[in-house]
Amino acid sequence: MKIIRLNEGAVLEACKIIKSGGLIVAPSDTVYGLLADATNGAAVKKLIAFKNRPWGKPISVFVSDFSMLGRLVKISKKQKAVLSELLPGPFTVILPGKQRVSKLLESEKGMLGVRIPDYSFINKLLHMVNKPITATSANLSGRPAHYNVETLLHELPKKKKDLVDLIVDAGTLPRNKPSTVIDLTNDRLKIIRQGDIIFSKKHSFVSDSPHRTKEIARFTLKKQLTSSFRPLVFIIEGELGVGKTVFVKGIGEYLGIENIISPTFTVSYEYDVKIGNTKKLVHFDLYNIIDPQEFKYLGIETYLKKGNILCFEWGEKTAEILNVLKKKAKIIFVKMQYINEKKREIAIKL
Amino acid sequence: MKILAIDTSADETSVAVTEGRRVLSNVIYSQALLHKKWGGIYPALAKRAHEERIDSVIQAVSKKLVHPMGVLASIDTVAVTNGPGLAVALEVGIGKAKELAQKYKKKLIAVNHLEGHIYSSFVQNSQGNPKKEFEFPYLALVISGGHTEIVLFKNHVTYQVLGETIDDAAGEALDKAAKLLGLGYPGGPVIERLSKEAGNFDFYHFPRPMLKSKDLNFSFSGLKTAFYYFIKDLKSEEKNKKIKELVSSFQEAVFATVIFKTEKAIKQTGINKLVVGGGVIANLYLRKKFRALAKKYKGDVYFPPYQYLTGDNAAMIGVAAYYKAQKKLFVSDPAKLDRVPRLSLVDNELKSL
Repeated sequence: MKIIRLNEGAVLEACKIIKSGGLIVAPSDTVYGLLADATNGAAVKKLIAFKNRPWGKPISVFVSDFSMLGRLVKISKKQKAVLSELLPGPFTVILPGKQRVSKLLESEKGMLGVRIPDYSFINKLLHMVNKPITATSANLSGRPAHYNVETLLHELPKKKKDLVDLIVDAGTLPRNKPSTVIDLTNDRLKIIRQGDIIFSKKHSFVSDSPHRTKEIARFTLKKQLTSSFRPLVFIIEGELGVGKTVFVKGIGEYLGIENIISPTFTVSYEYDVKIGNTKKLVHFDLYNIIDPQEFKYLGIETYLKKGNILCFEWGEKTAEILNVLKKKAKIIFVKMQYINEKKREIAIKL
Repeated sequence: MKILAIDTSADETSVAVTEGRRVLSNVIYSQALLHKKWGGIYPALAKRAHEERIDSVIQAVSKKLVHPMGVLASIDTVAVTNGPGLAVALEVGIGKAKELAQKYKKKLIAVNHLEGHIYSSFVQNSQGNPKKEFEFPYLALVISGGHTEIVLFKNHVTYQVLGETIDDAAGEALDKAAKLLGLGYPGGPVIERLSKEAGNFDFYHFPRPMLKSKDLNFSFSGLKTAFYYFIKDLKSEEKNKKIKELVSSFQEAVFATVIFKTEKAIKQTGINKLVVGGGVIANLYLRKKFRALAKKYKGDVYFPPYQYLTGDNAAMIGVAAYYKAQKKLFVSDPAKLDRVPRLSLVDNELKSL
């Protein structure tokens, strides 16, 4: 067993071991995972021996992209639409397998859990190996997941350690929960395990804290940033106190802006962004707007440029300018509702 | 040194001529009456009104002062608020300040609106009253519709933000509670009056947010949610019957949080001299609470000595600018001066280094 730090060279070393049928403990976008070539029966057997996992209990796999995903599982058109909402991200989706991976990984009914991670190391490794890789957490069955290598090593008896060929150490990971597991094999979407981001039904999430609301905002933004070449407009609707400003704070934090406050008093605040290709974040609060004439004076059109992100609280009042916005920007509707005093439902519509 | 100061950060168009700490003339054209109808600042009106009013406000200021060459020729420096505030409103004041500075060949000073509120407790009338001297350091609080900040006011033009709101401002929370109960805008004064009638008593004990957090930041959105939920379940006749109890309890939750955090700041810094500015400190009950707090720590608290200094005004901008001028903090390239809607005091301090 060898321990290396997470750096550029780690991918190459990990790739060699995966290709030769070895077992790796490595960081991911959720917890430390156990990686092996999912198409190599011997490697998968070794992994199952490590986990003490009962035979017949499926293990999900990482894939690099939608094309690799399509080679492993059957996807209907309807399912594809849901998948593009979720992936890449901390979601594992269960779909009918095509028996292209070790049969030990699929369930007795032939279902396979797949996910496209959102973590540079794993993504690079997947591209280099060009095969699906197992995506199971690096703890023994029935034990909690690991966020750093020390606690993991502490838990392992020597016999188990000998099964692992390489550990990639990235220090302590943020305490994200394991991925949310969603069963798409039936018509109705079913949640098998709740992760951090809770997917309640199509296009909608449940948040139980401001922290989660921000996470959902970051997740939503991240997807749009990679796919859109137009300015992004978030139209956020919801009652007083439901967490609209918190949602915008989540967007801001992803862009490196930490000082977002409610713009109710001044109607709008703009922020310069120094991260990625984003230039400006403009945060509007239409709470006090009554007359649509107002919009002329907010300078909205001048902000509708590539690289800018506009967020509108009390977005229900944008009706008057929706056509202009639609013409020039990519719109993301965010509808926030009280479930109770602590919980919110956040629906995203593109 | 005579300074012509302009503030158009929100809904007041204000221009003042100051000399040192003395206000020679200050004119505020308020759009509050216009905005009352709308329940908040009304950007179209704000921008247009600023544009329409600014020249006449400058004229009105000048009228009070007599000078053979004309008042504008007699001033030494032009000062203007460059943030924080509403972008389209700030632009009007900055544009006018640049124009005057160029036309009369005057130096230009950019003032953070919050600096103005911090200095507002030291502003004197034209006779130089009140006469109290500076005794640094102070804990400065700005509590208004747009801001809630605790600042370490170390010396002239030297600030360190110790805590600030992470979501809604205290005044905004009061405005929103008033609106939920159909009390109109601005909410502060009517809430003050109704609460007083209810004996400023805390009937419902709404949650005080952030009291457990170790820092000095504020958050009022949780309180807003709790209040929304509480009155949502009330029948409207019940709501109307209990309106004084409701607003009094809400006001108490907001003020108790402000006082709690201020006390924490006193303990952390060992500073027991307070200056408190901003629209919310027009509230006499809150002043009473601050006096009691200062007394508890054998310190002092200062408020803006005249009512008009609690709200937005150019006089306080002129006085802050005077101390910036003493430190030669002039705008080096006026053409490049731009509004910074979320300007923080920290930015300002860095510039002064």
